[in-house]
Amino acid sequence: MKPTTSNKYLIIALLIGIAFHGTTMFFTLESTYDALIHLFFAEHYSNSWFEPWNYKWYTGFTVMSYPPLVHQSIAALSFIGGLKFGLFIITLISVLLFITGVYRFSLLITADRKVAGYASILAAISSSFVETLHVFGQLPSIIGISVLMHALPEIYLWLKTGRLRYLFTCLSLIAVTVTSHHVTPIFGMIFFIFPLIGLVLMDISKEQQGSIKAVTFKVFLSSFFKIFKRIVSFGALALAIIIGCILPYWINSKNNPITQVPIPHGSRDNFLEITSSGLMFFLIPWGVLLIMLPYIFYRYYSKRYLFFGLSITLLVVLGTGGTTPIPKLLLGDTAFNILTLDRFTLWGSIMALPIFGEFVYRLVEGDLKTLIQKKINAVYHRIIVGIFVSLFIFTSIFTVSLGYFRPSQPQKIKMLPIVNFLNQDQHDQWRYMTLGFGDQMAWLSAQTNAMSVDGNYHSARRLPELTTRPIERLENSKFKGVEGIGSLQQFLTIPEKYNLKYIFSNDKFYDPILYFCGWQRLRQLENGIQVWEKLNVPPLSSILPKDAIAKWQKILWGFVPFLTVLIAFILNIHLLVIRALKTKRKQTPDYLNFKNNYAGFSSRLLKITHIWSIILAIIVGFGVYQFYIKNDSHHSPENAILSYYDALDFKQFEKAHRLINPKSNLSIAQYMLEVSVTDGLLSSYAKLDAISTEIKAKTDTLASAVIKTKWITPLEKIDKTFYKTLVKVKGKWFINPDTVNSDLPPDQFYPNSETSYFNQGRRRITTEQTHHEDVLKQPVLEILSAKLVKHKQSYALIGEVQNIDNVPCDVVLKGTLYNDNNKELATYNAKYHVKHKLMPKEVSSFRIDFEGIAWSKTQDSIPKTFNPDEFTPVAFEEQPTKFNLQVAGNVSGSDLYKKTVLSDVQLLKNTVSGKLFNSGIKEITVPQLLVSYYDASKTLLWVDHMFIKEGIRQQREQYFEYPLHLNSTKVINTSMEHCFVNGLPNAAIANKVVSNRIKNHTHSQLQAINHLIYRYIKIETNAYLGSPN
Amino acid sequence: MVKLSLYIVSFFTVLFSFSLNNDFEFITSKTEFTAGHPIVLQFSTKTNTTPLLYVSNSFGSTLIIADKNNTVLSYKMPLDIASRAGIINWTLLTKTEQLQGKIKVLPKQSVENIQTYLGPPSIAAGGTDYSMLVAIPTDVYDNPLADNTKVAVTYQFRDQQTVDTIIVNNGISHKTIYSPLKTGRILSSSSCLGFNSKEYTINVMPGPPVNFNIAYKRHHDYADGNQITTFSTSIVKDVYGNTVSDGTYVEFFIKTSKQNIIKTSGTTINGIAVAKMKHPDHANSWSVQAFIEGMAESNRVELEYKSVISNFNIRLSNNNREIAIGPLKSFMGQIIPDGLEVTFFVYSKAKLIATQRKNSIEGYARFKLNPDQFPKGNYTIIVKTAGITKSLEHVVL
Repeated sequence: MKPTTSNKYLIIALLIGIAFHGTTMFFTLESTYDALIHLFFAEHYSNSWFEPWNYKWYTGFTVMSYPPLVHQSIAALSFIGGLKFGLFIITLISVLLFITGVYRFSLLITADRKVAGYASILAAISSSFVETLHVFGQLPSIIGISVLMHALPEIYLWLKTGRLRYLFTCLSLIAVTVTSHHVTPIFGMIFFIFPLIGLVLMDISKEQQGSIKAVTFKVFLSSFFKIFKRIVSFGALALAIIIGCILPYWINSKNNPITQVPIPHGSRDNFLEITSSGLMFFLIPWGVLLIMLPYIFYRYYSKRYLFFGLSITLLVVLGTGGTTPIPKLLLGDTAFNILTLDRFTLWGSIMALPIFGEFVYRLVEGDLKTLIQKKINAVYHRIIVGIFVSLFIFTSIFTVSLGYFRPSQPQKIKMLPIVNFLNQDQHDQWRYMTLGFGDQMAWLSAQTNAMSVDGNYHSARRLPELTTRPIERLENSKFKGVEGIGSLQQFLTIPEKYNLKYIFSNDKFYDPILYFCGWQRLRQLENGIQVWEKLNVPPLSSILPKDAIAKWQKILWGFVPFLTVLIAFILNIHLLVIRALKTKRKQTPDYLNFKNNYAGFSSRLLKITHIWSIILAIIVGFGVYQFYIKNDSHHSPENAILSYYDALDFKQFEKAHRLINPKSNLSIAQYMLEVSVTDGLLSSYAKLDAISTEIKAKTDTLASAVIKTKWITPLEKIDKTFYKTLVKVKGKWFINPDTVNSDLPPDQFYPNSETSYFNQGRRRITTEQTHHEDVLKQPVLEILSAKLVKHKQSYALIGEVQNIDNVPCDVVLKGTLYNDNNKELATYNAKYHVKHKLMPKEVSSFRIDFEGIAWSKTQDSIPKTFNPDEFTPVAFEEQPTKFNLQVAGNVSGSDLYKKTVLSDVQLLKNTVSGKLFNSGIKEITVPQLLVSYYDASKTLLWVDHMFIKEGIRQQREQYFEYPLHLNSTKVINTSMEHCFVNGLPNAAIANKVVSNRIKNHTHSQLQAINHLIYRYIKIETNAYLGSPN
Repeated sequence: MVKLSLYIVSFFTVLFSFSLNNDFEFITSKTEFTAGHPIVLQFSTKTNTTPLLYVSNSFGSTLIIADKNNTVLSYKMPLDIASRAGIINWTLLTKTEQLQGKIKVLPKQSVENIQTYLGPPSIAAGGTDYSMLVAIPTDVYDNPLADNTKVAVTYQFRDQQTVDTIIVNNGISHKTIYSPLKTGRILSSSSCLGFNSKEYTINVMPGPPVNFNIAYKRHHDYADGNQITTFSTSIVKDVYGNTVSDGTYVEFFIKTSKQNIIKTSGTTINGIAVAKMKHPDHANSWSVQAFIEGMAESNRVELEYKSVISNFNIRLSNNNREIAIGPLKSFMGQIIPDGLEVTFFVYSKAKLIATQRKNSIEGYARFKLNPDQFPKGNYTIIVKTAGITKSLEHVVL
């Protein structure tokens, strides 16, 4: 083919690429992991191009923590058609850059336009590219590697010919690479440019010696010294550019080093153990390339490509993550834990593309075709090609539809109602947080001016509460076990610290923890998002702190990225024009002189490829069989139980019912009814964490199993053992159903009168601040008792608080501990141990635990297993001896359900059992017991609590067993001198409002217990209602 | 505006500066002006120079250029200065010794607005708690009116209407409104020089409750573990006979025959709190007393519940692995309503190894002894329901 004609393969590749990605991106991109984060950054630049400080996430962070080119490009385009327009245009550009990049890289490697054309077609829909774009959404990374591939021929030509023109073109392209993605040029140097230098040296040596076979190490070394100056000058300048173009990034990295605890990433898993990670980070990106691994290695280990062979070997090995210990050994612990290893696989698969193109060329129209036709027959060849093409297309379609079949994100949320809510009524004067939004939280942040405590770019996190936990976001903390919920509950308990007032919840899993941390439901927005609100949180101050950044850095950051593109464009434009318009006969680039001989495909290689394919087929077949056996729910009793609990966990009740013994005559309707009447922490808010089945007895048709389950709930970890019997009916195993609670309430239809409240908020329809006559008086509370106690190794404030006003009240209790020298030691709020909502004259016992920032001391003490109850006591350096207790009341009309009745109490040894009766007309979802302990003289010593796992329906009872506390408590300080209510001294308020208080009024009604340390207890009840309306 | 409108009351309303400077002489005789009226300070001069006049009041300072007419320099104060009540200091900026003095601006004696503050918006009945009304009548320039201006405070409670006159002192006037003995709503307003403020509200809430009585209602006096007994209070009132506010929390403590404390609660509506409790499932006597913690308590009420079940059968089948308890019959021989709790204890060698709880269905409770949980052996089974305990010794599985 003459070099002057257009390469029709490349054009086809571009057309396929645009058509394929240009259509699918509208359905995939917004549900990828990263695309919306880049959109958020773009929104930042579109508002303040030169100011890198962003207040919206993590109480403020700098966007200088990520190279800006892609974000700035989207921002620039957003001025024309909005942010998403910019995103899609940049995606299309990245597709074009990638396909042409692969073409040029392949041409460089293979020196054959046809092969390069094949490679570019394959690249257009190669699974690793599809995955990176449509599943991960890593635009900067794609653009980075694409531009790097464009730079490679220029580097080759500079090293080979020494013409300065090529030095400038290649450096200009490297500058673009680094401004779009910082990691790509650094590792690109090692994995792409070093082997390229080797290739140049080989070519020079070959030219000297006449044939590649004659190249010895000595010749090679002499070639090296010959172009040593070029290599060094290129290396030094490239390094200068990598550092210089994004200098503020490096300065920021140095000033704010990533000291955070590593965040687990699937690419570091053992792929054999965690097969889903293996699929995502190994099988999919390699795809069909796996079949031709022998060919790829064979070709890359030929003498000319030797260095590419070494490089791709390293990439393959590093890409295996935690499957083998080698990546960890090679990278070292730190790098291994910071880097996501999937990028090595991506680069490896890209590096393989030229050889892949070559193989396909030889298979479709080259010597391999001839060989197969000659050795076997033409039909076989056609079948082979057919299978091959089908497999290739299938992997691509499978990859692109991955997000459809196994959504990694919650369903698309309409953001407008939330944006409107935040804009209304000065709601954006407080910080907000989202729960269960997935990466869509970035899109919300991009659309509102309100600030979030959370964020979606974990490298920029600053709060120690976040950096000490291996969680990406608070937002999805339920997937992050103990660290997740542990982190979240700290934010929920002391929201004043972060001015956090609103929470948008898209996942009802978090509802109980919000309730028991003292949050209240505001309303459900039109898009189904539940808004939660916390009272008594001060608004953000109008001036917020930020890190000052030098002006020159801001200017450099704002101008350089686009400047690099501009320079690269100018330097490369005439080449592009020549190439596109074929205006003049261009001299052949040097690398085209090193043609391969595509005649005589080695029949041994063909044989090896066949054997390898058969091995692969067997492995895949075995995998699929295992998968089938594991997933055939009726195959064995274990399978039946696993799938039953799995179905229950994911609320697939129909599937669960199919596992119920058909002979038990339990209809699906009855089953669903039974499921629907069981509510509570365990059945509605628990995620199955671990399950182990022990088959105790098994005959051919009968089995009985002991099932030990561990459930994660937002409040605590629950261990529960079930006993099930199974039967085999017609060769399939089924589970016998359990009996249901048959309690029959006495009344069918009955009235209930209760007081309900409404707060007008602002009576006038105005955007002005609330008129002072509309501001409600803070309800008056009285602290009846408060004391500082030491229990085991931790300190706590305990006591009782009463609402002595005439309106219902939300209670916020904040305790501070001091030592003898009045030095403040710790401060915290009451969490679970208080009824946060009190009716007029109602009393609640309380306890304030002092929680430190968990695991801030050492990394290795992070527990391996999940426990939402996890509590990290503050490490006191000095002895707390005094305390200050601030109680704030705010009028609240919600969550005032007080119908949980203690209807039976039995004293057993070290256990109190009893029943809770729901005497009202709403269903109780999570009942809670608050238990206060008293000594013989009825002095309050300790306050404890217990959540009851099952809910209580109307007029029904729920049995509970509460194990009594066995540890003793030491009272340290009982002085109530520093107790304040709404900022006023407690004693004064108490005297004024209830001057004739009967002290210890209900002490006569304490429950006597038979206990070594404590003599009396008081049981109070509190209840979370899942659906209060 | 309050703090800004505090102006200095000076005994020297006029500070006459003796002219030591022979070139300029202060010739304006008036030293008190009303806010908003034009203020022109005049000086006679013998020279050709026209110095600037520096003026300053509590809001700020400025320089004024003179208007020269032959030998008279006139300095006209801008409205920003002339409209603010208070002292204006002036200095004539001559090169030699400077003339200086003060003039006083008085607020206009007409009311444009009355800034009114009332708080707290709710107080307790009984005459000790109070709310304070603060009224600041201001003129058109937002100057508080002069001291000793009279302000009428009107407030209405039930069928009583009161007018009190208070006077402005230091720019503000205030009135302490003590709570009456009864609950209700006090509406108040203020007026000054013919101008009336808008309406303000004080809610008078009841004071702490005093002791009350309780009663109970039930459909029958059997301990069937199913029906519900309702307790209710008399109308709970404070010491002045006001019904306590709706929502007041009353806790009912019940002492059972075993001296265990169970409890229920209710919130008042029109003073009456209603609380419910399920009947016990075995004969029992309850002693009930209600409390409003620290403030009030009720009388004590005693209730008896009669047993409905005197006996039941235990039937073993399927190698003793299935146990049926029943029929459980109620007081008229009817089958007890579903849900009576039957507790089932399994002991092996005097050690409790399992407890199961089941609710009766159609008069029976059935238990199965799973072979995994209960391997072959010799067990003792104890069944408890409706306060009756039965045991089966040496059950061989």
